[in-house]
Amino acid sequence: MSNLDTLKAKIKERLPDLDMVVGWEQGFDPLRATPLFMRTEEDVDRLIWNPLCVHNLATYLPGLKGRKVGVVVKGCDSRSIIELLQEKLINRDDIVVFSMPCEGVVSVRKIQNRIGSLDYVESVEADTGTVKVTVDGSSQSFGFPDVAASKCGRCQYHTALLSDEFVGEPNNEKAEDDYSDVTSFEARPQEERLAFWMTEMQRCIQCYACRNACPLCVCRDHCVAQSRDPHWMTQENSTQNKWFFQVIHAMHLAGRCTECGECERACPVGIPLLLLKRKLNKEIEELFDYKAGTLIDSTPPLQAFKVEEDNINERGW
Amino acid sequence: MAVKFLAKDNLVPWLAELAETHRTIVPKREGEAVVFRPFAKEEAPELSARPTESPKSAIFPQCDTLMSFRYTKDEEDPGKVLLDLREMKDESPAVVVGCRSCDAAGFNTFDRVYMTDKITDQNYRARRENTLFVTIICEKPATTCFCNWVGGSPTDTSGADVRMTPLEDGWVLESITEKGEPLLSSTLLKDGDDRAGDAEKIRQQAKERMPEAPDLSEAPGKVLALFENNDFWEAESAKCISCGACTYLCPTCYCFNITDESSGMEGVRLRTWDNCMSHQFTMEASGHNPRPTKAHRLKNRVGHKFSYYPNIHDGNISCVGCGRCIKSCPVSVDIRSIVLHAIAAPAETEK
Amino acid sequence: MLQNTQTAKDANPYLPSIGTIVEIIEETPNIKTFRVVLNSEGDMKNFTFHPGQVGQLSVFGTGESTFVINSPPTRMDYLQFSVMKAGEVTAMLHTLSVGDQIGVRAPLGNWFPYEELKGKDIVFIGGGIGMAPLRTLLLYMLDNRADYGKITLLYGARSPEDMAFKYELPDWLERDDMETTLTIDAEAPGWEHSVGLIPNVLQEMNPSSENCMAITCGPPIMIKFTLQALAKLGFKDDQILTTLEKRMKCGVGICGRCNIGTKYVCVDGPVFTYAQLKELPNEL
Repeated sequence: MSNLDTLKAKIKERLPDLDMVVGWEQGFDPLRATPLFMRTEEDVDRLIWNPLCVHNLATYLPGLKGRKVGVVVKGCDSRSIIELLQEKLINRDDIVVFSMPCEGVVSVRKIQNRIGSLDYVESVEADTGTVKVTVDGSSQSFGFPDVAASKCGRCQYHTALLSDEFVGEPNNEKAEDDYSDVTSFEARPQEERLAFWMTEMQRCIQCYACRNACPLCVCRDHCVAQSRDPHWMTQENSTQNKWFFQVIHAMHLAGRCTECGECERACPVGIPLLLLKRKLNKEIEELFDYKAGTLIDSTPPLQAFKVEEDNINERGW
Repeated sequence: MAVKFLAKDNLVPWLAELAETHRTIVPKREGEAVVFRPFAKEEAPELSARPTESPKSAIFPQCDTLMSFRYTKDEEDPGKVLLDLREMKDESPAVVVGCRSCDAAGFNTFDRVYMTDKITDQNYRARRENTLFVTIICEKPATTCFCNWVGGSPTDTSGADVRMTPLEDGWVLESITEKGEPLLSSTLLKDGDDRAGDAEKIRQQAKERMPEAPDLSEAPGKVLALFENNDFWEAESAKCISCGACTYLCPTCYCFNITDESSGMEGVRLRTWDNCMSHQFTMEASGHNPRPTKAHRLKNRVGHKFSYYPNIHDGNISCVGCGRCIKSCPVSVDIRSIVLHAIAAPAETEK
Repeated sequence: MLQNTQTAKDANPYLPSIGTIVEIIEETPNIKTFRVVLNSEGDMKNFTFHPGQVGQLSVFGTGESTFVINSPPTRMDYLQFSVMKAGEVTAMLHTLSVGDQIGVRAPLGNWFPYEELKGKDIVFIGGGIGMAPLRTLLLYMLDNRADYGKITLLYGARSPEDMAFKYELPDWLERDDMETTLTIDAEAPGWEHSVGLIPNVLQEMNPSSENCMAITCGPPIMIKFTLQALAKLGFKDDQILTTLEKRMKCGVGICGRCNIGTKYVCVDGPVFTYAQLKELPNEL
């Protein structure tokens, strides 16, 4: 029995006690997976687990609070669950976490950049060695690392940090994450960095997919972006206003963001939002030696108070 | 009707000519997206990839100032405050070059609502009457295309003033409306009669490449019949994350918000894109929300396009099948399958 | 202004007329009534509307909100709007003073079928701020008294201090061409009228449904039980009129938030018969 079949069997076993289990199925084309809400055994038969399963399904959990829900997660996704539990946004007793060792997922955007257009994809064969995409009868193969999501290249959590049903052999490999992407961006002059964001933000359509895809962005229906009372943001679509939102978004996620990259993946116009979140996380790591969603019993640093922080010289003037 | 040929090398010079008299809007690559932007000198538009966003902002900007207001002290009577109100309208001539047939057809959906016998949205009309569309046909359907399900075709002219058909070495341009004819008066365009046959062949091929379309004639009734079937809509909307990507990329989604922004004694009344996927859209001051869940809201979006709108507007579906809502949805919600599921759903005997 | 002589093609449906608040009445702790006169004499003189139509009031810088014009078209010294403090715009309206400038977009929406109601008995049943839309029609009918049959009013509020239009209640109670019952939810010192929930008091009043139209407006829970009471009293669904409220922005059937399926409350409403409401999908 393959790992996937074992996983399906485990889900079917637990399903009677759950309202639903969230996983993935094949979407509208061979390259796109889509979230699957399993309520029956027939639904479970449609479950897939492969490098196309890009979505972080933990995003659905706060919205399903109060129901008994199973969720299939990759290692990185499990960090969101830990963070949600720490913040009491979900109840541990109400969720069942299913997982398998993850070897990485693709970046649909990177594939698009390679093949030009995603409009005509006929078939995809993806494993963690190569990704073969067929368009118009002709195939192109890419080495997995070249088209994998950037987060996968620095992955330290192939194995879920929290799971109730784990299928397969845990993989404890850890890549380095030296935040070199952030460091090299920081090295650019300030005007250049601002100009970069202004150029990127110009095409933002204010759809707030970044916000709604984020598992930790839980104000959703009461977001400052649309609130009139308090009236902190205008409804103008100036680049400055759009950027203002992203800064608020990033600040609220400092030390909470698990870098799942859903904000960036969900953006319909491809704004590299994860860079901004990583900048804040880099600061948090330096100040508090903390990585969100990795330790179930810890408290996120910005939700705790210490009279003397170890790495902040508060009265050093 | 004029038929002209535009050689590849003459595209940018021709756009530069148009830009002298019109706000000229073209698809342009920005990062990983293709968006509509004013034509910039010497810069070739992106005509091969399908634009990520629709050109609706050309006529219906994401943020439009409806009016400005100013409070002033009455000089005669300092205790009294006067109010000055000014309408804002943009009537400058514009041309959108290189949008797809479906994109231009999207404005027909707007017209039936924004310019009726009873009501005319003046800001919309000002731009609508002064904006021309040079559409480009789609040679091959994307996996997300379904224009032929909803009355369109890859070569449709219902929203076009001029239609472009790509050939190896350039484009055949035909004027579709009288307003479009002057756009073809440039000396950069050669007589196109001898290339018209080639163009027609390409268009024929394009139409033949469309997969067969299902019959949606039952959709308006079937979707409405499911209105109170919460289970259906909860299942269909389960994966929706309630963002506005589908609506804001859509060429026919026309809903908006009106809000005031002020600073001191003056300010503006803005009309901005809004979307029925948002919780706040129908939220009432009392705290009551008639569409409290994403199931209610996705039902409204699908229902409006495939049932309510056609019921009010002579059967016209308010979707042009561009597929952006499918392609750019962060979780791949597929409106086609929702409509097909609704059509296939067993008739309900009782709610 | 929509209804002015400009044609639909040229009129800007979003452009309010500017008016001046000429009087403010503190009706209850959270309801204020504003009497507004349009600044342009011509606009005011040419202003026509039907009982039940609504208007959008603007506080520039804050926004617009929808209110019924609760003065009748037979009394055109001013346009009257009663505003319950609930959200951003209503809170700002409550801070305004006499003499302040205000935007008015009116009239919008449909109206009570006052022509078709001629010759019929009328039972008005109003709860709380729901009395406002009834007031315009009631006063119109009183001003054209001969056209209508027996007029009965049942007006209820939570407590005596929550009763709006107190300045008119004595007249309504005293008049011999209408029958007025006031009720509050629970006993209160000095209260000399009925005590009890509107649907219960209505049942006790036992109005005849014969050649009669019931017109009701109030909070959703009151409407729900009032409809049940009316059914028990023999009122058919098309003998009951009510008005709906939805969040509105454009007020002219475009912006897309007040629709219930195919019907837009801002243009197809706010007035509906109960029979029509039953036809609508359930999304109130």
